[in-house]
Amino acid sequence: MGCAASVPDKSARQASSLNSEPLAANDPKHIRVKLVLLGDSGVGKSCIVLRFVRGQFDPTSKVTVGASFLCQTIALQNSTTVKFEIWDTAGQERYAALAPLYYRGAAVAVVVYDITSPDSFHKAQYWVKELQKHGSPDIVMALVGNKADLHENRRVSAQEAEEYAEKIGMFFIETSAKTADNINQLFEEISKRLPQRQSS
Amino acid sequence: MTSRDRCDDEPEKGKGKKNVTDDASVSWRKRKKHFFVLSHSGKPIYSRYGAEHKLAGFTATLQAIISYVENGGDNIRFVRAGKHQVVFLVKGPIYLVCISCTEEPDDALRGQLELLHGQMLVILTKSIDRCFEKNKKFDMTPLLGGTEAVFSSLIHSFSWNPATFLHAYTCLPLAFSTRQAAGAILQDVVDSGVLFAMLMCKHKVVSLVGAQKASLHPDDMLLLSNFILSTKSFRTSESFSPICLPRYNPMAFLHAYVHYLEVDSYLVLLSINSDDFYHLKDCRIQIESVLVNSNVLGEVQKSVQDGGLHVEDVPVDSSLRSDSPSPHPGQGRAALASRIGGPAGLWHFIYRSINLDQYVSSELSSPLNSSRLQKELYRAYQKLYVSMHDRQIGPHKTQFRRDESYVLLCWITPDFELYAAFDPLADKALAIKICNRVCQWVRDLENEIFLFGGSPFSW
Repeated sequence: MGCAASVPDKSARQASSLNSEPLAANDPKHIRVKLVLLGDSGVGKSCIVLRFVRGQFDPTSKVTVGASFLCQTIALQNSTTVKFEIWDTAGQERYAALAPLYYRGAAVAVVVYDITSPDSFHKAQYWVKELQKHGSPDIVMALVGNKADLHENRRVSAQEAEEYAEKIGMFFIETSAKTADNINQLFEEISKRLPQRQSS
Repeated sequence: MTSRDRCDDEPEKGKGKKNVTDDASVSWRKRKKHFFVLSHSGKPIYSRYGAEHKLAGFTATLQAIISYVENGGDNIRFVRAGKHQVVFLVKGPIYLVCISCTEEPDDALRGQLELLHGQMLVILTKSIDRCFEKNKKFDMTPLLGGTEAVFSSLIHSFSWNPATFLHAYTCLPLAFSTRQAAGAILQDVVDSGVLFAMLMCKHKVVSLVGAQKASLHPDDMLLLSNFILSTKSFRTSESFSPICLPRYNPMAFLHAYVHYLEVDSYLVLLSINSDDFYHLKDCRIQIESVLVNSNVLGEVQKSVQDGGLHVEDVPVDSSLRSDSPSPHPGQGRAALASRIGGPAGLWHFIYRSINLDQYVSSELSSPLNSSRLQKELYRAYQKLYVSMHDRQIGPHKTQFRRDESYVLLCWITPDFELYAAFDPLADKALAIKICNRVCQWVRDLENEIFLFGGSPFSW
């Protein structure tokens, strides 16, 4: 968490991030986006990414170490393509101080919690605050309640999460990496909310 | 007791959180080898068996024993209680304890505790000590979340991986030119600012290059490869993770780019810069294309299939062959042709090159074909190693030991150490002759089984 103090302004942030390549290529038809997933350990960040990128679901839990890097390109209806460069970060406490390494310069942050775990919802709120303080000012944020298939064990109501997301001004969706429910919708919705870079 | 508790009491292999047993349960007490890590205030940090939080009373007792002796101005190292040995290691605010009835020498167990501590530093660095300076009652367990598999895999390796007591690494056998081709491309990326570049196949080195003046200790290689091999997520996709090499710099994180090229072959690129990911990724793409074009990866697969050195292949002349005792006397030539093991009843050997910090060991084969027998052999070697390197009465040059299980022979010179196991009925003079042959054979093959040049160890 000490890392935050060493980030004085946006330009320095970009220089010292895992972002030595431009955020989005100049070609307005082919957009490249750095996306980071944050959230407590065990909420299913890696499962969401693997479902999105490879269409797979592996029920055995594999703890992520540091961060995994994966890419996936989607085509939008207006014939633009968006290439997501995804940083799937580890949820363990020891990596919290290192998170800025991965979210600096990210255009999109997906904050994930588990709908059966109120603790993970609180942790998600911590990450939102962290991103508001230290993330890029124009970052697109999404709040994701994962494990929606386990609705019988639900302990975080969709309404509560929706209200919180609205207050912050972020996009909210519930997903299930297991059933693939809403996974593609999540990334499509994110694509629509990207700032129009070609105009700038 | 709920039914869940009862079912968790059953011994199980690495599935989920070990169990919820505590020190009162019979199954927990029956375990042959326990490892504990605790803080200087007695808080549990890690336990091989049982749930840490249930062992607070037990670790508090261990802490009381350690601090009682410390208050007397002394250090506790070792206690024997009946069949059990209790070995202690104090590392600043972190205490490590092994309780074992495996009859391993206490120096060997202490070496294992050192590695366990090193593995902790790989994950957290030594700066964790500062947390205890700030808060004596600091709880370290949350910081180790999700790393149980790393520790259980390390502890398991104490019974199968000779690198844990030899402090040397081993290479995958490869043609000299193949290893050179891999070394050349790794050297190129190191010249572009990478600190270490390692190409590994499981725990064996294919090639390895370090920046100028940067040397990689074999223990760090062991801990790093154990960390990578026991963490499944590295196999899923390319990863970038902070990692500490305790022998290189225990206080700082390096940044490791890890990528699996094949099922068991992986590339590790270490950098001191946290923003080097894209550079390391480019390096990997470059390395991968060279390795594919020059068929290094194909050769690696072939070597894995062929296996390493076999005792049956030790070259001997006919005089030795006819002298060698048949394990089943009276069965004549037929038995000789299909005899078990190598010449003169040689079952297994390990050759460690002192200058290279590398070892080579023969493949385990009949009659050492159960994991129990292999574990026993490694424990016997370990005992031999400790007795040969005894600081008070050693070091020794040769040792010949016969018991009901094997003849063990150890020979140490300034250049190499040889550990060999023979049939318990093997002839002593013949065994010594065979050991000479093995050494000659290894020297003849050294270009294929060892890594030369480009390595941080060659000056």
